[in-house]
Amino acid sequence: MSLPREVITAPLPGIGATRAFDQPASVAVRGGAFVFVSGLTAFDPATGAAIRGTTSSETRQILENLELILEAAGSSLDRVLKVNVLLHSMLEAPNMNEIYARFFPEPPPARTVCGARLPDGVKVMIECTALASDDGR
Amino acid sequence: MTVPILRELITAPAPGLDLRRHYGHFQSPAIRAGGLIFCSGMIPVDPHTGERLHGTLTSEAHVIFGNLKLLLESAGSSLDRLVQVHALIYDSIEYDVLNRVYRQYVAGGPPARTVWSAQIEAGFKVQLDVIAAA
Repeated sequence: MSLPREVITAPLPGIGATRAFDQPASVAVRGGAFVFVSGLTAFDPATGAAIRGTTSSETRQILENLELILEAAGSSLDRVLKVNVLLHSMLEAPNMNEIYARFFPEPPPARTVCGARLPDGVKVMIECTALASDDGR
Repeated sequence: MTVPILRELITAPAPGLDLRRHYGHFQSPAIRAGGLIFCSGMIPVDPHTGERLHGTLTSEAHVIFGNLKLLLESAGSSLDRLVQVHALIYDSIEYDVLNRVYRQYVAGGPPARTVWSAQIEAGFKVQLDVIAAA
């Protein structure tokens, strides 16, 4: 028996904008009981326009968009299992952590944070794996 | 019948492994769901005190694998049940050094793995980000 695999449709036009840039990636894919969300950078969910700000403001924008994407996939922030955060500099980790803590309930998901060379002046990129729904469907 | 899949917290099996308590990281040590265990990025800390144990990539990797063994075994899993590993190293020139240590801990059929170089917190040389079968 193979697990169902379903590409999640973007909930707002801006979130589907990766298509416009010809990126070979879906914003999220459901596989079995899990939803895998692509690495997100900060963008306007209505227009897809990139938003460049501080590590704090980019983190907030990304997590707001992530919430929309997870809800479109029948999941939510409280069903996130694992988060990977890429930062342009590890000196910014406390700034990210402060905003991050406001979005996730107790107990928080497992998480890995590391510094990386990010494209186009991006300061933060966040990807995650979540449970698809409460009953695993 | 659909079996409910719970999202279950795996607590730190030793006091030093609670990075949230020691360093304020807003993360759980690991989360179990759907037959898998998702571990937070493992860094070389003393499992009893949480003290950061900076050293060579080799010494740091030994500490990390020791801690990972404690964490997975406390959750009913083990190093033999790893399914995916992301190995972050500070410089890709140390790739072979990582492999020498790595082989000692994943003796049997090794898990899927990706290695890349990254800037790791607190100037560590290696960090392991793993998923294991529960």
